[in-house]
This record gives sequence, structure tokens and C-alpha cells, in this order.
Amino acid sequence: MSAKRLAVRGTWQSLEWRRWRELWFSLGLVALLAWLLNGMGFFEAGRLIQGTSNLARFVQEMFPPDVRILPTIAGALLETLQMAFAGTLLGFLLSFPLGVLGSRTLFPAGVVVIVRFLIAAIRTVPSLLWAVLMVIVVGLGPLAGTLALALYTVGYLAKLYAELFEAIDPEILEAMRGVGARRRHLIRFVLWPESANAILSQLLFMLEYNVRASTVLGLVGAGGIGFYMQAYLGMMAYSRLTTVLLAVLLLVISMDVLSAWLRRRYLLHP
Amino acid sequence: MTQPWITLRSEETLTLSAPAVVVKDLWFAYREGEWILRGVDLQIPAGGFWAIMGPSGAGKTTLMRILAGLLPFSRGQVLLLGHPLRGKPEPALRRLIGYIPQQLGLVRGLTALENVLLGSLARHDGWRTALGFFPRAEIERAMALLEMLDLADRAHEKVFRLSGGERQRVAIARTLMQDPQLILADEFVSDLDLPRAAQVLALVHRLVRERGLTVILNLHELQLVQEFADHVVILKEGRMVFESPAPDLTWPLFREIMEGEHEISSEITQELRR
Ligand SMILES: Nc1ncnc2c1ncn2[C@@H]1O[C@H](COP(=O)(O)OP(=O)(O)OP(=O)(O)O)[C@@H](O)[C@H]1O
Ligand SMILES: [Mg+2]
Repeated sequence: MSAKRLAVRGTWQSLEWRRWRELWFSLGLVALLAWLLNGMGFFEAGRLIQGTSNLARFVQEMFPPDVRILPTIAGALLETLQMAFAGTLLGFLLSFPLGVLGSRTLFPAGVVVIVRFLIAAIRTVPSLLWAVLMVIVVGLGPLAGTLALALYTVGYLAKLYAELFEAIDPEILEAMRGVGARRRHLIRFVLWPESANAILSQLLFMLEYNVRASTVLGLVGAGGIGFYMQAYLGMMAYSRLTTVLLAVLLLVISMDVLSAWLRRRYLLHP
Repeated sequence: MTQPWITLRSEETLTLSAPAVVVKDLWFAYREGEWILRGVDLQIPAGGFWAIMGPSGAGKTTLMRILAGLLPFSRGQVLLLGHPLRGKPEPALRRLIGYIPQQLGLVRGLTALENVLLGSLARHDGWRTALGFFPRAEIERAMALLEMLDLADRAHEKVFRLSGGERQRVAIARTLMQDPQLILADEFVSDLDLPRAAQVLALVHRLVRERGLTVILNLHELQLVQEFADHVVILKEGRMVFESPAPDLTWPLFREIMEGEHEISSEITQELRR
């Protein structure tokens, strides 16, 4: 009886101990954040006040938005969308085989290590830098932007897919090998259907991301609406810039709605 | 009904005379020095319906995976349908052995019919099937199997939507589709309640008898063993500690073997053999 009560008290204590540890850990994180911000001059009152008044003036000049430029930017907006779709699909087509090659499920460690390294190298380069590189390679315009988005997509999706494939239930693979299935069958009938949900879900996420990313690629001449963003910013035509930003906002929101609808429609099973 | 049946039937006559499975002094370890199987000896006649029992961790699944050719073993000898098993089995041998893992190994995102069709992959390993195109005759065979197992109306349902018992039957259909001579099933019905399990086993029993197949099952329930198996072996800490015709394994005897030291139970085995 008393032993039981002791055990219960032990449970209490270890539970409380865990709560305290979590609390201290959270406080530690907040302190770290404060320290980092302080290093950047966040807590200097003069700078903060100056910054706020600058922002206020900027915002004042941004309104009302100049809607006369809408016909001018419509084409660029469409181009942005095309770049995002083409880049995402191209990236996906490269990511799937790379993910298969980069997972220990089907390929020997030697192949996997090399492919994973390649994927990591691709992922290291941010999309804007890819855009600069692609402008150098294929020249100014949306092709450069599309290729940049595709490469960025590969770096991200191929890694996720490789991890998905490695998490597949080994019993299914074993049962299929027992049936006499070859590697190509395992890819078609196990890797794909077992992870289709996650593959599509991440593909949609990537599409949303690329729509947002493609709006800034124009900053380096890689096509799309970013060109106008930079131009109006350079001309200090802030009311026009507002129109561009609102248009982009609308685009991003409609993409999110579309992707949410696709998820509901096609991602039903667990 | 169709071509594959006929071609495989002719191979069967070659091997029916030999025992379906012979295991001699089989030793196995996942890690150096930690023996999971310690000198297992088994001889299972063709056409037999055998049950393997034993406590958790005894090595039943390990033995099954070795017999299915999925796990290379370190010491001993295994003959499957008269062919020695060394390393990976050749495709010709592999297709004669149907293996159903404990969780069934069905692909959840494919339909029941598609899963059954996967059983025919050993016969069609080209690129056509890899793209998802199966010969008409195979599709008809798969449908016939589903119909026989009372699943025709669930054929186009994805497996994750099926009930436990329905999945069980899809797994049986997939194995039969493979047209094996030996079926290995690991804890085949442990996820079903007793009446459902008995139903499924009765079905398997009837099917394999009709086709003259050999079956080895890991089972937990003594009742099911007594009702369906011809013969039972008990594995404990990697050793065979008991072997007898299934009706001879009574409840008290079973309890004594499972709870006692295995030296005692091997005495019992010897007594029973005499
Ligand atoms: N892949 C593995 N690597 C290392 N050890 C393993 C592996 N699989 C199983 N074992 C160990 O081998 C022993 C036998 O496992 P096995 O799965 O064959 O037992 P079992 O008789 O099937 O048990 P259960 O009735 O619980 O399914 C266990 O001690 C287990 O921990
Ligand atoms: Mg087991």
C-alpha cells in the first residue's frame, strides 16, 4: 500500500520536474532571442523611433494605389504564374527519380550517398542565386526564372521524397519481393502509391512557395512581376508599387485557395 | 482456366514426391553471436498443413523469413521443394513460394484488384506491367479469385478502406494469384477475433486442399491449431522443443511446454514419439 503511494508520488515528482525543465527551456529561448536582437541594435530607442517614422512616411506615399498600371502588369503577373507552374512541374519530374535513387530502400549505400550529396548541394543555393546563375546561362527572361525554380524545387522535394521512401513499411517491400517483384515494380506499385498522398501534398506546398518566390525573381531579370516591383521601387513610384503588391497578394491568396481545394478534393485517405 | 495455371502445374509434378520443406541444423543470428535459431530441424511433407507455435521472441517470424528466402542464413541446410536454398533464391523457385507477412504487406493506396494482380508479377516482369498494364487473362483470373473469396464487389476499393477480414482475403487472393506450391503465413489471423479467424482458416484450408498446396502458419491460438492443422511444432528460444500431430497437443500439455523449461518438454516430445 505504502509502496504504491510512494510510486504515485514518484510519478508526480517526475512529471513536475519535466514541467519545470520545459519552463526553463522556454525562458532560455526568449533570453537568447533578446540577446540576438540586442546585438542587431533592436533595443536602441533612437533607431526604433527613426525607423517607425520612416515607415509611416513610406506607407503614406503608398496610398492610394495607382490602378492605371493594371493592364501593364497583367502580362507580367501571368508570366509569374507560368514560371511557377512550369518550374514546379519540371522540378517534380527531376525530384521523383532523384528521391528514388537517394533512398536506401532500393539502392545501395554508394549510390545513395552520392545522390544525397548532389541534392544537398543543390539545396544550398537559394532560389534568387539560382536565378542569377540561370540568367547568366540562358539569358534574361522567364526561362531563367523557371529553371531557377525547378532547381530550387529539386533541392527541397528530392530530399523529402527520399525520406518518404525510406519510411515505407518494410513488410510491404518484403511481401512484394516475396512475390518476385523487380525494382521497377517496387517503384511503381509500392513507392508511388504508398507515398502518393505525401508526394502530392508536398508538391502543392512547393507550388504555393514557388508562386511567392517567382514574384521576386524579376529583381534579377529572371522574368515575371518582380521586374515591375524593382522598377517602381527604383522610381520611388510607391503608389504603383502598392498596386503590384496587392496584385501579388491576390495571386498568392488564390493559389492558397486552389491548393486547399485540391487537397480536400484529392487527399482523402490517411 | 488460362495459360499460367497449366505451365506451372507441370512443374509441380517434378517436386511433389519430395518433402516440401527440409531444414537441417539451421542456425541464424541477426547480430554476431546472438543466436536466434539454434539448430532447427524440420521435415514437412508436401500437402501438409503445419502450424508453428511458441512464445513471443522464439524466432518464429525469423524462421518464416528464412524459408521465404528473404533472410540469408549462416549455418545449416534448407531444401525448398527439393531445391537447396542458398543466398537469394532464383526467381523460378521464389515464385513457387507464397509469403504472407504478419501485417499482410498489402499496398494500402492500391485497390484490392491491383493488389491481387501484383501476385502475377513474377510471371510478367517486363516494362508493360511496370507501367500498370496487366494481360487481360491475368485480370480475369484476379477477378475470379476475388469472386471466389466473396470480394468481387470490393475489387475497386482501395485497401485502406477495407476491413481486417477483407484485407486478409485480399492477401490470400494475392498469394493464390502467384500460384505457389508452398504458402508461408506469419501470424496470419492474429488480428482477427476467434470466429473470424476460424472462418479465414477454414477457407485457406479448403483452398489448399483443393490445390494440393503445402502450408506453414505461425499461430497463437491452440484452438485454431487443433481444428485446422495436421501437425504442430513448438519453437522456444530458437529450438524445436515439441513436434506432434495437432490433435495430440492438448491444452494442459501446451501450457506445460510454454511455461516450463524446454528440457522437460523435449522429454515429453520423446515420450509422445514412442
Ligand atoms: N531485424 C532484426 N534485427 C535484430 N534482431 C531481431 C530482428 N528481428 C527480430 N529480432 C530478434 O530476434 C528474436 C526473434 O524474433 P522473431 O520476430 O523471430 O520472434 P517471434 O517468434 O516471431 O515472436 P512474436 O511471436 O512476438 O512475433 C527476438 O529477440 C527479436 O528481438
Ligand atoms: Mg513474429
